[in-house]
Amino acid sequence: MQAQNLEVAIDSIRVRFGSQALTRAAELPPTQPWSSGTPVDHLTGIGGLPRGRVALFTGNGTSGKLTLALALLASATRAFAHAVVIDGGGFDPWTLTSFSPEPGALTVVRAPAPEIAGEVATTLARAGAGFLLLMSEVPEHWLGPLESDANRSGTVIVGVVDTPSRALAHASSFSLGFSRSEWIWDRGQLVGLRTSARCVKNRVAPPLGETELEICYRLGAQSVTEASPRVSEIEQCVSAAV
Amino acid sequence: MRVCCGLISHLELARRPDLYGTPVIFGRWDEHVVAASDEAQAFGVLAGMALRQAEHLCPQATFVLPDEEAVVRIRELVSSALYDLAPIVEVRDEGIAWLDLRGVVNPGQSIRAARHRLLKAIGREPRLGLAPGPFSARLAAARARPGRLLRIADAREFLAPLPSRELPLDAEQRERLDLLGLRTLGAVAAIGPRELESQLGRDGRHAVLLARGLEPDQLEPWRPPLFTSAHRQFGEPVEDREALLFVARALCGDLADELGLRGAGAKHVRVRLVFESTQTEKRESIVRHPLSSTAELFGLVRSWIKEWKPRAPIAELWIELPVLEAAGRRQLRLWAGGDGSSEEVLAALERIQERFGDVVWHPRPA
Repeated sequence: MQAQNLEVAIDSIRVRFGSQALTRAAELPPTQPWSSGTPVDHLTGIGGLPRGRVALFTGNGTSGKLTLALALLASATRAFAHAVVIDGGGFDPWTLTSFSPEPGALTVVRAPAPEIAGEVATTLARAGAGFLLLMSEVPEHWLGPLESDANRSGTVIVGVVDTPSRALAHASSFSLGFSRSEWIWDRGQLVGLRTSARCVKNRVAPPLGETELEICYRLGAQSVTEASPRVSEIEQCVSAAV
Repeated sequence: MRVCCGLISHLELARRPDLYGTPVIFGRWDEHVVAASDEAQAFGVLAGMALRQAEHLCPQATFVLPDEEAVVRIRELVSSALYDLAPIVEVRDEGIAWLDLRGVVNPGQSIRAARHRLLKAIGREPRLGLAPGPFSARLAAARARPGRLLRIADAREFLAPLPSRELPLDAEQRERLDLLGLRTLGAVAAIGPRELESQLGRDGRHAVLLARGLEPDQLEPWRPPLFTSAHRQFGEPVEDREALLFVARALCGDLADELGLRGAGAKHVRVRLVFESTQTEKRESIVRHPLSSTAELFGLVRSWIKEWKPRAPIAELWIELPVLEAAGRRQLRLWAGGDGSSEEVLAALERIQERFGDVVWHPRPA
């Protein structure tokens, strides 16, 4: 009798507010992956970053999270019509050039305040931008709309933060923690770094533990100031080992 | 079927709450009484009676001209206030509000909310009845005290002792029932539908079904109107753009509140500026997804007003949503991904640029 009443209530809600206003978990489509061609795809458990969800890369400075995010961004510019960086300050788009991005698809939004970053991210997720790289804090009250709008449009959102706020950590569906294990030197010259990427949260598949990543810089005569990552090389050199 | 009925004064009375507690009669001269307050009814005044006769019965009553348009407005107000409480809501001018509570998870909560909303809309405590159908619910409500609920489990048992004049029959048919000795609903229920049909026609059959609690009548669900608008008339014509934006935001807020209450959204948005000379300028647009929040509506209207160059000071601002649709339709694609388009993203970037200044940058290769 109770089950029958429940069915009547569910039918009534669907008639009144639309067939998908109330959706049973069993009827939900599985999360769609976006295959980026980077080692991150192996870590998510679904073969790519989850579409319509917030993914987080966390860890201390120089742990390699931004480099990996830039590789993802470059890949996104080739895969989507619009890849947008929401930058709270400090993003240098020219560091991306070595990853061979598609410049026509890249847009950078300088958000001078977290409030603006939240509004911009939500607006773009609602509009259906393919990929959003969040490099700014987002206030808690924007996270709900951001999640739901991204879910609707299928936008891939990647946030890069040193330490996420409690709300952002809660809002994310997939979180990778980075920690640098060692620098890689060759004949007295810094050639890269070795970092460990650990899946600390995964809502879309069982967490797959930890992976070692190696990020290599370009070899050759360079001054220290020029030792910024040559991204095309890095992309080739990023490798994953269980 | 589980129907809750809220019985309030005739909606003509609801537009004059200052006359509550006094005898009031609504009607036109040389015509019939449209509605009478309880105090006037105590003197024998009934709806449908000649006004001269009503005046004779209750000369101290206040006579008020009926206003059909005002009643329609009040009916719409009451209907929209109750709309989200039950799947089917019907409100009649006689002061009857029915809510079909089938499928409602927490009917008690809906009934309490209905009581509060009716009190707020009309200014008087409604009488409430809960019964298997609209007829028995109305009669139950008529027997409840103001602000209280009378719950009926067995409609036939409840109806049996009630007088047969409660049936929706004309005076001649009632007289015929009286001649047949059918003075209670129980007596009518005991007659076969065919027997009474042979006496009173189709109404006789209908009366028997009602008296038996079989509830042959269905409620006519109220549907919210498919358009809405908000406007502001300025005391002094306005030239200042900031003032216009301020008012536009307030109007968008009002519209968003109304849309939220109705669970509706609008894809078609129109803004009209009315000048002192009564000439108008308008802009309108149809967007892909229904807009329903203040931010969404104002985001669109703001961009227009900011670039608009009106040719004269503005006396009136209208924001119209000519076609409303259910918010449910917006949710239909809740789980469907990839519904954005390049044009929408570019439009969003333009809006961001407009709102926050020079923050958007497209890197180009050196």
